Amino acid sequence: MKRKSSFIVSILLVLSLILSACGGGGKNEAAGGKSEKSGPKEGGTLIYARGADSISLDPINVTDGESTRVTMHIFETLFVYDDKLELQPKLAESYETSADGLTWTIKLKKGVKFQDGTDFNADAVVFNWERWMDPANPYHQGDFPYYPFLYGGFKGDPKHKVEHVKALDESTVEFKLTEPTAPFISYLAIQMFGIASPEAIKKYGEKFGENPVGTGPFKFESWNRNDKIVLKANENYYDKGKPYLDEVIFRVIPDNSSRLTALQSGEVDIIDNLNPDDADTIKANSQLSLLERPSFNIGYMVLNTQMAPFDNVKVRQAVNMAIDKQEIVDAFYNGYAEVAKNPFPPGLWGYNNDIEDYKYDVKAAKKLLAEAGFPDGFKTELWAMSNPRPYMPQPLKVAEAIQADLKEIGIDAEIKTYEWATYLQKSGNGEHPMGLYGWTGVMADPDNFLYPNLSSTNTQKPASNRAFYVNEEFTSLLDKARVTFDQEERAKLYQQAQEIFHADAPWVTLAHTTPPLGLAGYVEGFKPHPMEKEDLTEVYLNK
Amino acid sequence: MAVLAKSKNDLVLNNQEEVVSPGREAWKSFKKNKFALVGAGIVVFFIIIAIVAPVIAPYGVNEQVLSNRNAPPSADHWFGTDDFGRDILSRVMFGARISLWVGFVAVTGSIVIGCFLGIIAGYYGRWIDTLISRIFDIMLAFPSILLAIAVVAVLGPSLQNALIAIALINVPNFGRLIRSKVLSVKQEEYIMAAKAIGMSDARILFHHVLPNSLAPIIVQGTLAIATAIIEAAALGFLGMGAQPPEPEWGKMLADSRQYIIQAPWTVLFPGVAIMLTVLGFNLMGDGLRDALDPRMKS
Repeated sequence: MKRKSSFIVSILLVLSLILSACGGGGKNEAAGGKSEKSGPKEGGTLIYARGADSISLDPINVTDGESTRVTMHIFETLFVYDDKLELQPKLAESYETSADGLTWTIKLKKGVKFQDGTDFNADAVVFNWERWMDPANPYHQGDFPYYPFLYGGFKGDPKHKVEHVKALDESTVEFKLTEPTAPFISYLAIQMFGIASPEAIKKYGEKFGENPVGTGPFKFESWNRNDKIVLKANENYYDKGKPYLDEVIFRVIPDNSSRLTALQSGEVDIIDNLNPDDADTIKANSQLSLLERPSFNIGYMVLNTQMAPFDNVKVRQAVNMAIDKQEIVDAFYNGYAEVAKNPFPPGLWGYNNDIEDYKYDVKAAKKLLAEAGFPDGFKTELWAMSNPRPYMPQPLKVAEAIQADLKEIGIDAEIKTYEWATYLQKSGNGEHPMGLYGWTGVMADPDNFLYPNLSSTNTQKPASNRAFYVNEEFTSLLDKARVTFDQEERAKLYQQAQEIFHADAPWVTLAHTTPPLGLAGYVEGFKPHPMEKEDLTEVYLNK
Repeated sequence: MAVLAKSKNDLVLNNQEEVVSPGREAWKSFKKNKFALVGAGIVVFFIIIAIVAPVIAPYGVNEQVLSNRNAPPSADHWFGTDDFGRDILSRVMFGARISLWVGFVAVTGSIVIGCFLGIIAGYYGRWIDTLISRIFDIMLAFPSILLAIAVVAVLGPSLQNALIAIALINVPNFGRLIRSKVLSVKQEEYIMAAKAIGMSDARILFHHVLPNSLAPIIVQGTLAIATAIIEAAALGFLGMGAQPPEPEWGKMLADSRQYIIQAPWTVLFPGVAIMLTVLGFNLMGDGLRDALDPRMKS
């Protein structure tokens, strides 16, 4: 420790000499821009402040972004999406697929070690897969929600489509599927499927979520719930010389204004989910810089289709017409969002632009509500999370605005709030009549937006389909799109699915945001990623 | 008692002044206190606002115009608008109803419960006194707002539960006050006399002990309304009191705090409203104490 800090000091000294020799005017370029002549600086601690804590650090057991925001630095996946949303190999080297699309052979990187010193190899990959897919596996502890989203269930389920995962040699793995799966490689890039150290899983068992060990550039140090998670650089990272940082700390500051104050006072280096209104404050401050994450999300309000009166499609449509989305987006997103009409963002292929959104029309909404048997409206609850989300920077404000809109057609909605973990748990159990929610894609494929959140297969509690939307025609379109390889064909299927979604109105689609981030001016090399997967290996502090 | 006092006065002073009732006397002394009058004026002003709010408020309390959010004070909106484009003047007026309601009801509640327990403890003494007094001590050992938060956490956040919480945390103050008063009153000869003629305990307690212990309760009650209003605002600020879209002053502060730089009027007016009502009750309470406490008389 001591040696390390003196090393940092000497490096800082040398760098400051170089800098002064260059006569560096002291003006910091915006982060993510060109690096200074002196090159990246090593060392230092980066503090990233966010609105809510992780739920678990075992990525396969979570679906939320606050958990994977941390785990993606500890665990690596076989493939990865770069910031242009193109697939790149990570722990894999290359892949081949058989003509029938059923057998996938993947070559792995050699010489990679887990953070506990054990070897990463084909056996480790197989071990992880056995753990994920087999409920009978002794290490299959938890819900593993993302696995059945993609593979139709677990081993033994009739729709499960992984026949086997085999190690052909030290660094080759073969996957045999029961049906052709077009987006298989992008499944492997989802951060939930980070490869974990088999030895650590055996050692920690159920406690693995608090003692994560992977191959990533940073290793887990400590976790104070609802306060901070500390990661240290992995000195044995295979990409020599990286990461540049010594330490990364993820701090929880739930209040948006306090988080901004922490950035302004230099207490933290990066903040996300700032109040859109505060973006201008950051722009005006020469010590700070503002970055925008490209839009790859959807913020929406679910209507619990299995709870009266939202089991009535007319009620759901009336709610859709009663909410003035444009006004809400203008007021509470400050230009960092556009109104949503479909369940996934317009930049993604398969988006159906022909769909005409429900028009804001109080009269028509009232009429529909009367037709549904509620001429005087009804009393209900509107749930909102207490913390900001990338797709919903101010959930309570949005909820209050929706409350006022619904009041106009006689719906008396009481706002209920819970903190993030409780919120996910309770809404997964379907206790909510209406609730704010959202999704950030982890795959550049409509499947990832539609299947987890809307397929009838995901309505078992705890459900990820929080509208508890069951439409077999819709689900069969999604299933068909999964086994179709031609992207144009698939796009057509998804466009049809969006029409059904629109007519059934299980959600009120609200906004696609471009979430702004605030950075201290000296943070360099930070590239905002549409999927919130900002790689920190090349980030350094120029101060 | 009045008769007794009168004859005493006649005897000793042979006085020329007209004899006044204690109530009248208190009013006279209260009137002389300028601050107390200002306080009473403020309180009356807010009570009137609260009563006529639906008539005089220029806009609906939850009338939302998102396109006109955070508008500065103008001829249309004297106090400006908040971040939902709602008229702050109207909301502050309706907020007076909530705050005064919480203040009066919560304090009345704590007086009723506190007096009941305090009288029993003071009059009967022994183990029941020890029991009640220790419960009061335990409750007073917590910072009051912490206790209120705990109560709301158990009951769930709502205005009604905040009111219950505030009533509960003020019980020991009144209980202890009345207990000490009862301890001294019960030694008085007229109580002994009542006992001697075989009057029931209940009659003695509620017809003789209670009325003679009331003055400090009135003073403490007025001051407690001020604290209750602040506590309600604090709970509202923490999201544990009034729920959206109710125009509770503390909640208005919390909701607008992020705009304190861009739109200071959104926090200024509810803040001033809290400050003024609390000041009013405090001044009035101080004046009442001076008027009602015999030791303070010149």
